[in-house]
Amino acid sequence: MAFGQDLVGAVTSQLLVGLSRAMILFVVSAGLSFVLGVLRVPNIAHGSLYMIGAFAAFTITALFGQALPGFWLALILAPLAVAVVGLILERALLSHLYQREHLMLILFTFGIMLILNDLVKIGWGAEYRSIVPPDNLTGSLTIGDLPLPRYNLFLLIVGPIVAVAMWLFVNRTRIGKISRAAAVDREMVGVLGINVSWVFAAAFVIGCFLAGLGGALIAPTTSITLGMDRTVIMDTFLIVTIGGLGNIWGALIGSLIFGLTQSLGLLLWPQFAVVFPYAAVVLVLLARPKGLLRSVW
Amino acid sequence: MKRTVTALVLFLALLVLGACAPAPTPVPPAAPTTASQPQAPTAAAAKLDRPIKVGIVDTYSGPPAAFGNDALNGFKLALSEINKNGVLGQKIEFTQRDDKYAPDTALSMAKELVMQEKVDVLVGTINSAASLAISAYAKEQKIPFIVWTAKSEKITGQDGHRYVFSTSENTAMAGKAGAIALAKKPYVKYWIAGEDYEYGHAIADSAWNNLKKLKPDVQLMGQTWWKTGEPDLVPYLTQIMAAKPDAVIFATGGAGMTNVLKVAKSTGLSDKIPMWIHTATDYSVLKPLGANAPEGVMGTMDYFYYYPDTPANQAFAKSFQAAYGNPPGFAAFHAYNTAYFIAKAFEKAGSLDKEKFIDALEGMKINSPVGEIEMRACDHQAVLPIYMGVTKKDPKYDALIATDIVPLAGQDVMPTCDEIAKERAKQ
Amino acid sequence: MALFIVVVLLLPIFAPSFYTYVFALVMVNGLLAMSLNLVLGYGGLYQFHHGVFYGIGAYAIALILTKSPVPWWLAFIAAPIIAALFGLVIGWICIRSTQLYFGMLQISLGSLVWIITSRWYDFTGGDNGINNIPMPSFLTSGKEIYYFILAVLAISIAVMYRVVKSPFGATLQAIRDNPQRCEAIGVNVRHHQLIAIVIASFFAGVAGVLYVGLERSVFPDMLFWVLSLEVFVMCLLGGWFTFAGPLVGAGIIVILRTFVSIYTEYWTMIEGIILILLIFFLPQGVVGFALGRVGRKAQAAEETVQVSERGAKV
Repeated sequence: MAFGQDLVGAVTSQLLVGLSRAMILFVVSAGLSFVLGVLRVPNIAHGSLYMIGAFAAFTITALFGQALPGFWLALILAPLAVAVVGLILERALLSHLYQREHLMLILFTFGIMLILNDLVKIGWGAEYRSIVPPDNLTGSLTIGDLPLPRYNLFLLIVGPIVAVAMWLFVNRTRIGKISRAAAVDREMVGVLGINVSWVFAAAFVIGCFLAGLGGALIAPTTSITLGMDRTVIMDTFLIVTIGGLGNIWGALIGSLIFGLTQSLGLLLWPQFAVVFPYAAVVLVLLARPKGLLRSVW
Repeated sequence: MKRTVTALVLFLALLVLGACAPAPTPVPPAAPTTASQPQAPTAAAAKLDRPIKVGIVDTYSGPPAAFGNDALNGFKLALSEINKNGVLGQKIEFTQRDDKYAPDTALSMAKELVMQEKVDVLVGTINSAASLAISAYAKEQKIPFIVWTAKSEKITGQDGHRYVFSTSENTAMAGKAGAIALAKKPYVKYWIAGEDYEYGHAIADSAWNNLKKLKPDVQLMGQTWWKTGEPDLVPYLTQIMAAKPDAVIFATGGAGMTNVLKVAKSTGLSDKIPMWIHTATDYSVLKPLGANAPEGVMGTMDYFYYYPDTPANQAFAKSFQAAYGNPPGFAAFHAYNTAYFIAKAFEKAGSLDKEKFIDALEGMKINSPVGEIEMRACDHQAVLPIYMGVTKKDPKYDALIATDIVPLAGQDVMPTCDEIAKERAKQ
Repeated sequence: MALFIVVVLLLPIFAPSFYTYVFALVMVNGLLAMSLNLVLGYGGLYQFHHGVFYGIGAYAIALILTKSPVPWWLAFIAAPIIAALFGLVIGWICIRSTQLYFGMLQISLGSLVWIITSRWYDFTGGDNGINNIPMPSFLTSGKEIYYFILAVLAISIAVMYRVVKSPFGATLQAIRDNPQRCEAIGVNVRHHQLIAIVIASFFAGVAGVLYVGLERSVFPDMLFWVLSLEVFVMCLLGGWFTFAGPLVGAGIIVILRTFVSIYTEYWTMIEGIILILLIFFLPQGVVGFALGRVGRKAQAAEETVQVSERGAKV
């Protein structure tokens, strides 16, 4: 590739699309990390909830039209639907397991993953689905002479909004503060007379909401299919591990590492770009086995 | 606590009910007899003493389940026609197993079908790894195995043997078809991009090697590979656009196709740079995108329900639509042909003997919805035409369709028998 | 007990070949689950990605047999050792963390092994895996491989039993129950745990070798994390505080999976439901439950036998 103008343009373009990719990963992994922090459960079903979010977004846009109301409604309703699923799961089943051995909780989420996968197939069938963003988010802007799809620009805005919302929630609301405290010392919170069970429920539901939001956000850029859960759960697991388990800002940093190594790696060595994010994970884990930021426990 | 337990039990009981309810697979109504089909065993001398048992291993859950179901429907439709008259006085029966897109499960299922169900013929699967594994087992057990969807050229190429057949087109054929079409274009500087799995690499290699042979001055500027299921391809496509190639060869399939087409449109790549993808013109790829698929994408394809516009193809598409509510896809087409290959080969063999069945199937010709198809004797690969076309909007259809279709005859895109023999000798 | 042994020994002679195959599959999975239980039940470690060592064992023997002139018997020995070496490396990295962090780190590292295996086309065959793996001439029929697996399983169980009952095994269990105290009285906790991981990966590697013997194929799926969690479920189902429980759990899962899948394509969901029912109603597992009811006086082994027989007849 020629140096100079072209290279600057290419790097800028890759930087921006890499950032937008990181934003979706952040939304999903923040949910995973939050549940991990408060409940200390790596929610293996998180990817399935993300998939349900995408399928729900498809159904909602199918009902209300792909055009203006449909997509925006989907962005709100799909995560809410997933949050309701989460609430039911938590209250009906998971909440009875908090006294149990920790491994049981983890295996419980695995069982839920197995069930949800087949339920999605029963509910939506096996065909591929696809939705489009509203007109003002389709097409691309050009930076230099390279395109930046408007939708990716939109993601660049949504990501920070979610991050700020999470920060406000954790630091400014009562339930957020309690959940943060519960993550550090759950006995202490219990002693204070706070119903820990409801804190856990809230955390789980927020985690599910974020998974659903991630699914709804990714839906316009991809095909909505069975099996999309598996790809995302693996990446988000790696992200929260390198970021520091349970640390939401760690999830942000992890997502940035993942998204940027991938998109910039493409400029260096496109044939093996797949390898870059994973190589970064190995390097981080070798240097800091506990992740980049302080884990919450 | 008691209430929750009751609720839990109810919830789980519901799930079990849901799980055990049979999958809604509509039984096809008696399909109209299509004039062109090979029908009515001519006063069969031999009679079979029991029905023919076909064991199907395919994917009914996981990402490619849509193709598994499509194939199964095509097969069922063919059987509903064949079984009206029977094969040598008997019907063809089948039993299907879900491999969950996992080759180890597929192998286990194939063993069950052979050892327990004692099937006469194995067919399947969409997963190339599963097909290769079952093929190895079929060779060991001397059971005929017909691959109807998987596209790896290894199946009838270097890993081929007496007991494995393919009724699907493969990566060698698809790549060569693409190369023939691209060689006629003025493009010189190419970029190859695709999904980092066997199918992607095989089709890219085949297209590129053939293109270099046909047009030695082409240059490969670079390659980009992303992992299977990668949800957002924008970074990959913008990087390709930055490199400014004359044309791009995309090597991807299944759900990944939809992703590429979507992003090719949103980044504007499809407007600026000519691109070829095998199966880009496929209905199952274009349908989810509706009117939002990019126009002008070159694609090769092994089956269209609307082309060739012959009475036989119309009849097939019509009865399929009537039975299952959607037009047949390529998987249905291949599975439909497979059923006729099986029926006709047993008829010719005159018995359930597996060796005789294989001898009969070698070089056999059937009348498919798109015309005569031969099972080449030297490598057991069905000789299928491949259609080069370009995506275009058409108000008559709910999705984009292929236009300017140029059919390429099967023998022109297949490796020769000598080439296959050389490949196999390497093993 | 005696009856069970006779049944197992004579199975290939009177049972249809498919049952022989399924039972061989049960034994392979049983060995894998038992090896996991060494670190999970006895060591108290969150070994989330045990399947990696199984896959490495299988790939090691497949690669040695297809790509090198090394004789088969050496390959059979080398493959589990290679798995154990990977266990040493991955274990050494993970052991610095505890509990959940240990598990997450292991999933991450294991996934990297999976990614490399499924992408390295020239070496591992990529996502097609490796088929047609040549086996020595005495291991070609279903019966021969059945007895081979049975013999290796018997030896492995004997060795693992010795390990569990040895002073090392006792220390390991003491560490599981109270790591702080063990540390305080001068036990090198990590050292013991690491040895346990290496032993467990060795036997997972043995299970991988047996799988290759049975199927003559390997696939990258064997290294995928979902398989590891399924092995976890086998341990839970059988009872992870019992020695033979995982074997029983593997038997039940493999047999159910094989026969339920014939009737429905929703086996995954049924597996999930079974898992959740287990967590709620039978957290000590089938064998744990049986032992609990009969009381500690009954011989653990005998109970195991009855249960697994019942499982085999499903």
